[in-house]
Amino acid sequence: MDPGRFDALVAAHHSEIYRYLLRATSRGSEADDLAQETFLRAYRAHRTLAPDANARAWLFAIATNVAKNHFRAESRRRRAHTAVRATLSVTDGAEPESETLFNEARVRLDAVVAALPFKQRLAFTMRKVHDLEYDAIARSLGCSAESARAHVFQALKKIRVSLNGHALPPGEC
Amino acid sequence: MTRKPAVCLQIESALVAAATGDADRATAARVESHTRLCAPCREDFVRYRAVDGAVHAWQRAPAPMEEVARAHLVSRLSDLRRRTLAYGIFASPLGPMLIARSEEGVSLVEYLSGGRDFAHSRLKSVEGVEALPDGAEIEALHRELLEYMEGRRTRLEWPLDLRLARSAFHRAVLEATARIPYGAVRSYAGIAGELGKPAATRAVAQALRWNPLPIVVPCHRVIGASGALTGYAGTRVTLKQRLLAVEGVRTRRADRDFRIEREAMYVRARQDTEYCVPTCGSLAERPLAELTLFASRERAEATGLAPCTTCRPDLHPISR
Repeated sequence: MDPGRFDALVAAHHSEIYRYLLRATSRGSEADDLAQETFLRAYRAHRTLAPDANARAWLFAIATNVAKNHFRAESRRRRAHTAVRATLSVTDGAEPESETLFNEARVRLDAVVAALPFKQRLAFTMRKVHDLEYDAIARSLGCSAESARAHVFQALKKIRVSLNGHALPPGEC
Repeated sequence: MTRKPAVCLQIESALVAAATGDADRATAARVESHTRLCAPCREDFVRYRAVDGAVHAWQRAPAPMEEVARAHLVSRLSDLRRRTLAYGIFASPLGPMLIARSEEGVSLVEYLSGGRDFAHSRLKSVEGVEALPDGAEIEALHRELLEYMEGRRTRLEWPLDLRLARSAFHRAVLEATARIPYGAVRSYAGIAGELGKPAATRAVAQALRWNPLPIVVPCHRVIGASGALTGYAGTRVTLKQRLLAVEGVRTRRADRDFRIEREAMYVRARQDTEYCVPTCGSLAERPLAELTLFASRERAEATGLAPCTTCRPDLHPISR
C-alpha cells in the first residue's frame, strides 16, 4: 500500500471532517473522537476504494455514518438517564461545553443548527458549510437527492425563523 | 397570521434555493419574475439572502481544538498502521495462497490448506495484528508470484517485513536462507554453520518450518544432509520438489521423499569464488554442510562465480 496516499487524505480532509462533526454533534470532545473513528474506518477500507472514487464524498459518508451511530447511542443513553432522573428527581447539572467564545450571531447560529433535527442538521452542514453535491449528501444520508434538498430547505426555513430579529438586517419592502 | 397564497407556497423552496445560491438559472429566473410582483415574497427573498450571509460568516468561524484533534488522530492512526497487515487470497498452481504485507514490506506468504478462506489463515490468530483485505497492491504481488512459479521470473524483489519471525535466531535463519541463490540448494547444517551454530541443525529446520515467507525466503532450497528434501509446508514435500524443478534442480523419488541428484549439480565449496564439477578433487566426499549446489553453470555464474581452473566445468560440463 502507498502510505503517502492515506497521509494525503488526512492532510486534505481532516480539518473539514472535524468541522463537519463539530456541527453534527456541537461538542468539541465528541467531534475529536468521531473524527478519529471516521479516519480509522477509512484507513481500514481505503485499499478497496476505487482509484477514481470521490474520496472526499466517501469520507463524508463515513463521517455521517459514524455521527448517526453516535447520535443513536447518545439518544439511548439520554433516554436511560432521563428515566433515572425521573425516579431519583435529580436535577440536570450538565453544562454545555464552551470551548471558544463566539460572537452573538455565531452563538445564535450554533444554537439554531444544534437544535435542528439530526438529518436536517447533517444535510444543511454538508451543503452549506462544505458545499457537497446533493447526490453525495443523499448517498451519505441514505436518501434521495430530492429528500436531501428538502432537508436543507427545511433547515433554512427554521434558521430563518430562529434568526428573525437576530443578526439579520431588517427586510426591505 | 394570514395564509400565503398557493402560488407563493409553490415557489417557496425555489425561492429559498435562489436566495441561498442553490438554484439553477431557470429556477432563479422563475423566482425573480415572481418576486418582482409579490412584495411579501420579495421580503422573504431578502431575509433568506441575509440568512445565507450569516451562514457564510458562521462557517468561517474557527473550529476549536482542531489541532489537538489532529494530533490525537495522527497518534491513533500510526498505531493502527503499525499493526495492520493487508492481505489478498488467490489461486495458484500450488493451491490457494494468501499474501499479506505491512507498510514496510511483505510479511506473510501462506499455503492455505483448508481452502480460499481467511478463516484458514494463521494471520487470524496472530496477536497484535489487524488483518485487512487489500485490492490492487496484493494483486501485483500475486502476479509476480505466479510468474515465478511458472519459471518466467527468477527474483522476487519485494521489501520484506520479518515481524512474524518468532525470535532473533529465526530471523537470522530466514535472512541466511534468503541469500541462497535461485537454482541452488544448501543444507540445514550449512545454514547452522553459517550462523556460527553448527550443532543447531534442528533449530534451523524448526525456524524454516515456521518460515512466514515461503518461496520468497526460499526454504525450499534448504535440504537434509543426505540430499533428501525432508519436509516442506507440513507434509507437502511435493511442493518443494515442484519449486526446485521450476529452478532446474533435478530430483528423484526416494521412498516417500525426494532426493537431489548431487552428481548432476555444480558445486561451490564454502566461500570459494569458483564453482566445480561434483567430482573435482575431494568434493564428492565432502559433507553437504560445506557446499552450495547449483542446478546449472548458468545458475552458478549468475551469482558471480567463475569456473574452477582445475576441473574446468566450462570446458568439461557435467554430461547427463
